[in-house]
Amino acid sequence: MAGPSSAAAGSADRNSNRPKYSQFSQQELSACQPIVTPKLVITVFTVIGIIFIPLGIASLSASNDVVEISDRYETECIPAENRTTKDAKIQFIQNSQSDKTCTRSLTVPKHMKPPIYVYYQLDNYYQNHRRYVKSISDQQLRSPGSENDTSSCKPENEENGASIVPCGLIAWSLFNDTYSFTRNNNVSLTVNKTDISWKSDREHKFGKDVYPKNFQNGSLIGGATLKSSIPLSGQEDLMVWMRTAAMPTFRKLYGRIEVDLQANDVIEVSLNNTYNVYSFNGKKSIVLSTANWIGGKNDFLGVAYITVGAICFFLAACFTYIYLKKPSRLQDPSYLTWNTNPGPL
Amino acid sequence: MKRYVYINDDDSTKDLYCDNRISNRKYTIVNFLPKNLWEQFSRFMNQYFLLIACLQLWSLITPVNPASTWGPLIFIFAVSATKEAWDDYNRYLSDKKANEKEVWVLRHGIKKHIQAQDIHVGNLVWLCENDEVPCDLVLIGTSDPQGLCYVETAALDGETDLKTRGVIECPSPDKDIRRFDANLRLFPPFIDNDICSLTIKNTLLQSCYLRNTEWACGVAVYTGNETKLGMSRGVPEPKLTAVDAMIDKLTGAIFVFQLVVVIVLGIAGDVWKETEAIKRWYVKYPPEGQWYELLIIPLRFELLCSIMIPISIKVSLDLVKSLYAKFIDWDIEMYDPESGTSSHAANTAISEDLGQVEYILTDKTGTLTENRMIFRRCCISGISYGNESGDAIKDVDLQNAVSTSSPDVIRFLSIMAICNTVVPTKSKSGTISYKAQSQDEDALVNAAANLHMALVSKSGNMIEINYNGSSVQYELLDTLEFTSDRKRMSVVVRDCQNGKVILMSKGADEAILPYSDPGQHTKIFSEAVEQYAQLGLRTLCLAWRELMEDEYREWSLMFKEANSTLVDREWRLAEVCQRLEHNLEILGVTAIEDRLQDGVPETIEMLRKAGVYFWMLTGDKQNTAIQIALSCNLISPEPKGQLLLIDGKTEDEVFRSLERVLLTMRITTSEPKDVAFVVDGWALEIALKHHRKAFTELAILSRTAICCRVTPSQKAQLVELLKSCDYKTLAIGDGGNDVRMIQQADIGVGISGREGLQAARAADYSIGKFRFLKRLILVHGHYSYNRTAFLSQYSFYKSLLICFIQILFSFISGVSGASLFNSVSLMAYNVFYTSIPVMVSVLDKDLSEKTVMQHPQILFYCHAGRLLNPSTFAGWFGRSLFHAIVVFVISMHAYSYEKSEMEEVAMVALSGCIWLQAFVVALETNSFTILQHLAIWGNLAAFYIINWILSALPASGMYTIMFRLCRQPAYWLTMLLIVAAGIGPVLALKYFRYTYTPSKINILQQAERLGGPILSLGNIEPQSRSFEKEVSSLSITLPKSRNSVYEPLLLDSPNSTGRSLGTVTPFDFLQSSSRLSSIYSRDYKTN
Repeated sequence: MAGPSSAAAGSADRNSNRPKYSQFSQQELSACQPIVTPKLVITVFTVIGIIFIPLGIASLSASNDVVEISDRYETECIPAENRTTKDAKIQFIQNSQSDKTCTRSLTVPKHMKPPIYVYYQLDNYYQNHRRYVKSISDQQLRSPGSENDTSSCKPENEENGASIVPCGLIAWSLFNDTYSFTRNNNVSLTVNKTDISWKSDREHKFGKDVYPKNFQNGSLIGGATLKSSIPLSGQEDLMVWMRTAAMPTFRKLYGRIEVDLQANDVIEVSLNNTYNVYSFNGKKSIVLSTANWIGGKNDFLGVAYITVGAICFFLAACFTYIYLKKPSRLQDPSYLTWNTNPGPL
Repeated sequence: MKRYVYINDDDSTKDLYCDNRISNRKYTIVNFLPKNLWEQFSRFMNQYFLLIACLQLWSLITPVNPASTWGPLIFIFAVSATKEAWDDYNRYLSDKKANEKEVWVLRHGIKKHIQAQDIHVGNLVWLCENDEVPCDLVLIGTSDPQGLCYVETAALDGETDLKTRGVIECPSPDKDIRRFDANLRLFPPFIDNDICSLTIKNTLLQSCYLRNTEWACGVAVYTGNETKLGMSRGVPEPKLTAVDAMIDKLTGAIFVFQLVVVIVLGIAGDVWKETEAIKRWYVKYPPEGQWYELLIIPLRFELLCSIMIPISIKVSLDLVKSLYAKFIDWDIEMYDPESGTSSHAANTAISEDLGQVEYILTDKTGTLTENRMIFRRCCISGISYGNESGDAIKDVDLQNAVSTSSPDVIRFLSIMAICNTVVPTKSKSGTISYKAQSQDEDALVNAAANLHMALVSKSGNMIEINYNGSSVQYELLDTLEFTSDRKRMSVVVRDCQNGKVILMSKGADEAILPYSDPGQHTKIFSEAVEQYAQLGLRTLCLAWRELMEDEYREWSLMFKEANSTLVDREWRLAEVCQRLEHNLEILGVTAIEDRLQDGVPETIEMLRKAGVYFWMLTGDKQNTAIQIALSCNLISPEPKGQLLLIDGKTEDEVFRSLERVLLTMRITTSEPKDVAFVVDGWALEIALKHHRKAFTELAILSRTAICCRVTPSQKAQLVELLKSCDYKTLAIGDGGNDVRMIQQADIGVGISGREGLQAARAADYSIGKFRFLKRLILVHGHYSYNRTAFLSQYSFYKSLLICFIQILFSFISGVSGASLFNSVSLMAYNVFYTSIPVMVSVLDKDLSEKTVMQHPQILFYCHAGRLLNPSTFAGWFGRSLFHAIVVFVISMHAYSYEKSEMEEVAMVALSGCIWLQAFVVALETNSFTILQHLAIWGNLAAFYIINWILSALPASGMYTIMFRLCRQPAYWLTMLLIVAAGIGPVLALKYFRYTYTPSKINILQQAERLGGPILSLGNIEPQSRSFEKEVSSLSITLPKSRNSVYEPLLLDSPNSTGRSLGTVTPFDFLQSSSRLSSIYSRDYKTN
């Protein structure tokens, strides 16, 4: 307010007040102004339909090319006398004395080309639970110096006064069912369990000189134990398990079978059913699956694409029909109401 | 507390009072951080975010790294603080400039050059012509023999001339610029040791400019921040726009919604935990929890949902609003080459309210008119001079009368030359120029000079007139000053040739004609006044009387006495003057034209078409006001228009008149007729005081009003009245008397015109000419509103989108309050990924400027928050929910089973959101410039680049994720699917609405872009021109049309009023609907 007045400004510098011209400052940048004309919209929807339906068919057929064998075993692998109640099941699984081996046989429906991925699938298992997913110490996994950096691992951070390596609920609850496969009566099938984890995890996330320590030493044993002679970067099952899943239903890679499986081959799986999913009505399955460009068997994308494509075609057709039947009111200038009554002003 | 100022005595007062260092700074370097933080945290939103950020430090409940809130919070605080610091630095620079200005002071008798900041109380300050007054001074002497000096009051509205000549005893500094009650005591050797009273008239206040005076000398009494100006320099209350208010309301609603979500999910989470999670051994819930266990899950959800309220909205809005203001500053089409001023937006925060204006209150003189007075007509002794073909000066009859020395004409001209406060100055070349405070006096003196009656000099009490080459001398005895109550001024002079004492008066007709000599017939003059007023001319009556020597002497004593009273001086003076000003001989009437500014009628018509209500508030007389109103399209002549007059001298009369007008108004609102009411200052005061309710109703009903003879404070009261009814008001004016109105209104516009810059400085926007108002409102107001409406709703949309995804995720993660997204993504989402594309919506134009100007009705479409209200917001809310479901369902299903890895799925969902955002912005953009393409698609590219960089850092949680995803065809298929599924329905819906229930804007867009037939319609240019012709023909050829204008007043019964409307053509459709909408909006506001 107290600044010098421009009243003193003479006419000499008048023109200096004139704003400089630029397309930006005058808001005159050339612009394209699309509007949603019937032609445009019908074209857009038709094009979407044309693109989406072939893509959907391609995805669907890719998904159909994937051969997948899935076998749910958590109930079948419990002796019949223990299946009656939930408590009995829990008792069975928690009893370290009971024989938990179990044999399942799978029939290959179609020729499967290697690599054939072996997954275990868990249902109704919340790896994404807030308490679970946070219970991990990245520092500890990476470097031996951070061994005691376990505060985030609670309630599974230390046992008998010493830090647990690897700490946290995720590691503690490591899946511990094991599978071995034979084909067509006792021709053993080797399962390659190397390279099942992410390369980046082996190289950066899990330290090469961090060894399991004080692991599963408590009174409550969660899941699998780890060989303390192998560094964490070599514990591939652990690394796979620790890539937590976003959904309560998930599959984790167990290994790869690297031979062809012919149609009608019978595969015997002898498994060690030790992981407790009974207390919360979880499910366990073993899955053998091939993969191609779309990944594993998943019809969702294909179906969704075809649906969206079809709806777009339908909409395009509807719009065309309505457009022909009832032309846009926009064409009618009298619809601009303030022109209906050319009043005195 | 009194302060004693010892004149020119450096030692005694030096340390007592502050020096003249001006400081407008809000902060110092030391207190900047704490003070700024304190101010920022006094805002509710910031407190809320701080609370959230603090809660996040509790690792048990935080779903994400605290950095995801602290980061944006600090960023936003830094941006606000930087802006504040920059503003403060600029204030510092301007202070510094003022403080280091060189001024002359007298120290021990020697004139010294010092910096303005070193002036101390008691210093004698020496000013030269055109200097700015550096601090508050008591005037001691000037170059003028009479001790007069002239100041231009820049930021103050004070009186302009003053007289004067120990110790000054004055009150402690205050901000009242109308009061200065001090005493001056002169020390020996002055014998006269009396106390001499000083008033505000003896002061020179800071920031005035010394004009027309060679030098002036004064004693510094208040310095630095203790000056009158310094004390009144409060921080103006920030104005809140309608959009801001709506955003606050919506924020409140979202906050409540968030609480509901938190409570529901919190309870659900606790229930799930007790029934399900407790069985899940791998989660290892302890059987016995802490007492606060139950609170943990709700608090987690609170933190998870805190992103529902967009943390960045304030900063984004601040930034775009500054850009709107810049666009106004830069606008070449609002540059006035005549005065060399460009438009300026002083208040950067309220541009979108320009598009919401419902009432415009305008000053007349200088705002609608040019305030350049030209002497057009006169009536001397019943003979009118001047007509349509020429001014009075060029009238041969008058020239003949002058050359034949017709006595009446001579007397008339000498009053024109003498009875004023004009100061003639003679340049070296001998030409005489006049310096006048009032444009009217300037016009009169110049006209007199053109008629060979030239005012040559005023020295001391002697006035020299040059009449036809011969010099005539008068002695000025007394000046009876003009006041707005008296409405006239007089001088008493002695004719040096014959020694006669003469009283010369000039003033408004109602202030002169009643005091005429009873023997004289004044009808002829009042008719002349009326006729001139019909032409929109400003009239003054001139009168004189010869005084008896005795009468004068007797009166002169009383006048002197009254002049020196301390109590009620003004009133006493008026009373004394009254005793002299009677039995006047009326000599004639002058008529001065104040030309309308270019483009005023078009502008007013256009804005009225846009549904804006126009009120004219003027200090001028009723007839002039009505004529100006007619000629600038403010009111329509009969039969289209109807004027209702509220008048009366007593409370009762005013009330009856008000009732009658109100009754007529109620009836006519349903009819398409242009009804206006006219009220004068006196009736207005009564109406506002005693019949506020009735007057308020009238104000709401009336599309047009003319308030004449109103004072500055009444102008402000009217603004206040309309504001109290929740209308958006815009006040426009140019002079000091409009400052209060301008400051009071929602939007104040100042015209940087001839009356100085007072108004322009007090205003939110200053423009060079009235006609720029239409561009300011229609173009800038319209665009700003559209842009802000989109930007704010979009901000909510994107925040809700990510929040809904988090909520959906909580349903499949055991309602445990886990976050799907990692901290880095959440932070970057709000601050970078989604802020930049929407920022370029400041370049969006729904319609071209041309179309907007051709269809001012568009503005009305934006009224009452049509683009930003709860129902449009509900649309955005629904869209965000729909998009969240699309993104969530598709990414969860496309990435299921073996692909269901947290980091990957999170990134898929996040990219889905970003893709959708890009397309939503693109879909909502009406015009794409290269910058918009760059921002929208560039941002999408930037998202990938940023995430690739993050994926390349082994230490980040996202290591290799983005590379893995981008190699998968399924990822790209998922993105495509999300976009198609998310945008398809929105596009279809938009198309349907656009085609089958189009808004006005849609129709015009279609017309404009496809070149439809509509463009040719509704073009108002030719209409307005013909209309203007109609008005001018009315005002020139039908000077007696007044009766027809006033007719309805004679008709009391509503029936007859209705009948008189029989032939009226239907009024604009908008009028009735706009009324409805205002009522609707008012209902809404009260709810």
